[in-house]
Amino acid sequence: MKRRGRGMACMWYPIGFTVVANPSSAVVKVNEDGTATLLTGTVETGQGSLTILAQITAQELGIATEDVHVVSADTDTTPMDTGAIASRTTYVTGNAARLAAEKAKLILFDVAAPMLGVKPAQLEAGDHKIFVKGYPQRNVHIGDVANHARMVTGEPPIGSASYNPHTVALDPETGQGKPFGTYVYATQIAEVEVDDETGEVEVLRVVASHDCGTAINPMLVEGQVEGGVSMGVGFALQEEILFNKNGVQINPNLTNYIMPTSLDMPEVEVDIVDNYDPTGPFGAKGVGEPTLVPTAAAILNAIHNAVGVRITSLPATSEKVYAAMKAKRAQAPKQIAGGEARPQIGGAPAPSPAD
Amino acid sequence: MEKKTDVAPKATPLETLQEADQILRVPALAPLVTYPLEVLVPEARQQTPAVGQRATRADGRLHGLGQTKYIDDWYFPGMLYAKIKRAGVASARIKSIDTKEAEAMPGVVAVITGKDIPCNSFGPSLKDQPVLADTRVFHAGDGVAAVAAVTEQIAAEALDKIKVEYEVLTPVLDPLESLKLETPGVHAPNANIYGHKVIKKGDVEKAFAESYQVFEGSFRTQMVEHVPLEPHATIAMWDPNGRVSIYSTLGRITLGRADVARTLGIPMSRIRMIATIVGGNFGGKNEITTEPALALLSKKTGRPVKCTFTRPEEFYASTTRHPLIMDYKTGVTKEGKILGRKIRLVLDGGAYCSWSETTLGKACILSAGPYNIENLYAEAFVVYTNKTMTGAMRGFGAPQVCFAYESHMDDIAIALNIDPLDIRLLNAFEEGSLSPTGQKLQSVVVKESLLQAAQRFGWNTNGNGKGNGAKS
Repeated sequence: MKRRGRGMACMWYPIGFTVVANPSSAVVKVNEDGTATLLTGTVETGQGSLTILAQITAQELGIATEDVHVVSADTDTTPMDTGAIASRTTYVTGNAARLAAEKAKLILFDVAAPMLGVKPAQLEAGDHKIFVKGYPQRNVHIGDVANHARMVTGEPPIGSASYNPHTVALDPETGQGKPFGTYVYATQIAEVEVDDETGEVEVLRVVASHDCGTAINPMLVEGQVEGGVSMGVGFALQEEILFNKNGVQINPNLTNYIMPTSLDMPEVEVDIVDNYDPTGPFGAKGVGEPTLVPTAAAILNAIHNAVGVRITSLPATSEKVYAAMKAKRAQAPKQIAGGEARPQIGGAPAPSPAD
Repeated sequence: MEKKTDVAPKATPLETLQEADQILRVPALAPLVTYPLEVLVPEARQQTPAVGQRATRADGRLHGLGQTKYIDDWYFPGMLYAKIKRAGVASARIKSIDTKEAEAMPGVVAVITGKDIPCNSFGPSLKDQPVLADTRVFHAGDGVAAVAAVTEQIAAEALDKIKVEYEVLTPVLDPLESLKLETPGVHAPNANIYGHKVIKKGDVEKAFAESYQVFEGSFRTQMVEHVPLEPHATIAMWDPNGRVSIYSTLGRITLGRADVARTLGIPMSRIRMIATIVGGNFGGKNEITTEPALALLSKKTGRPVKCTFTRPEEFYASTTRHPLIMDYKTGVTKEGKILGRKIRLVLDGGAYCSWSETTLGKACILSAGPYNIENLYAEAFVVYTNKTMTGAMRGFGAPQVCFAYESHMDDIAIALNIDPLDIRLLNAFEEGSLSPTGQKLQSVVVKESLLQAAQRFGWNTNGNGKGNGAKS
């Protein structure tokens, strides 16, 4: 019989490296027509971070995402970056890109001020224009200012900046300190169906509520969550590198190392928690890694809710779930006779992953 | 059994065939451009303000049209293909490596071993990993020689001609064994425990004594692979000016360039490291692998050299996720408020340190969960074993400890007959809460995320009609 269960898990996760410096640098060049180029040493590894960086740069300059071309990942041309790691790109590289764009923007303000007959501090950028604060009708197109800057005043609007999260080293004795700039939070709830004759687990639905500060691009946040859930399903139920007794891997291929396919994917419902972090670019933090952190825990709690067994070693393969259910059934009459007051913590001992 | 097969009549006139060809309209040449060049920009990419827009990715169009060029798609004139000979034994002393037969093979242009690497060690924190193993093998995926040949097939065949003589040693495979002081050191004379972290707050023993009930739980996780769609790939090109250009699937080119400069002993200004669009990383491409070896093969041959990992190499020759052994002990009040928690984590660090220190730190700091716990003692160890190296992987230890602290949390909730949602809301961080390291937390929304997810799921209304409700 198939039994349904539900389980939840919440988590916290830091953005960036633990204590050690992990700076990012960026260069923003505003072209003569008001479009821009961002130079960054980070790498697009499929997560869409270059689009996020373009959006942050565009926001600071008051132009559109499409107007920003991103040049990345070439040590000859792009500035140093700690790289696509530790969910840090939106927060750390994003802050560097925003600061670099701000510097270029301040050059544009210096040039636009006499054009508009005001002081630079009275200016703002938005909707492809540089305008007087509170008087948006008094404006010049950003392209006209950028062109004027290069052709007339001779100050090409180029900005460069670096950002490194503020941290405090941990005390070696007590571990007290400030290891990270900020953290994100999330909850996932899974609904599973467990076949109580075979131990097979199917994940039907995952509800994921994630904090990332400001969502620079909600679509890319959703993409990260769906990808994270798929990785979490594999971690919870299927994937495991196995070794023989000599320490040589026995399943280094996709035939015997089982990963989730599209058929194993549950329905994923994503919510972005409304939040703003004052230290992030436009309030943004990050979302890459946290998306998979609570998935396995939620699924395992759902298995317990469905069939009453606590699997304490991952992955919860059918064999493991079946063995735990069998052990529980064998134990059941004894528990009633003994009148045990409290349920046992932990489950049936499962084989160690190194076996 | 014999069966009559249909064959075309021998006397088909040529005209008929030509006619058939006309009907099928098989083009003699593929059209010059097979994708649209007029770009339609989606509205979300054109709108201001840019932040908050559901803007499509600039690289999405190329991916969709199949026009993204990954390193394996690239070819440079005269390019050679490299393969790495893997040890296949978990722990051994290398007595000799004979490459003569491989070098004599037609089509093989160069062979190198660890002895050719000017500085044969690297690593993001401990420099304990050789580019190619020269005296010792620490795990079965260690490379022992690299071959460059005119085709991938010849390079692969040449690997079989390389004769390596090993003195096989007993491998250390169990992290709990490795933790014991009497266990022989994987990297002797260095100790097997190569990282240790403690987080201490309040007095746990006192908290346990004051608790209504104390719960214990033990949890383990397995070793997993990142499995990116695109395996590790590199092209190295040494030019006559003594500069080397390296196209790589690295996620961290700034660090990569420093590692290549160090291992090859050349100035950074002579290295150009270019990462292309990378087909998936998940933490597995955060340090160099074969880059220095390929640069040397290119220097030796004067030709560009490419190496793409096979899928098995992705498993045994790159980093993996740390298996963890996690022991939890938690004292709570009758209402489910956590008074104290004691945690011990043992991380299987595999053969090399890689990103273990970061993983150790994050796992230890995060292990208590997003909960206010005034009395805490968390201790974490990472140990060497002769298994595939473990390193950075999406979450750096967090998915492992979350599995433990959230399973443990449900066990406590069920035993005390408290709804899993309520026990979490009771203990969760709030704005300004102090983390286990004493950091004052900002923009905290654990409770908001719990309530939002519970509402979306229909937690209090039996799973939106789909679930079976809490059994507790």
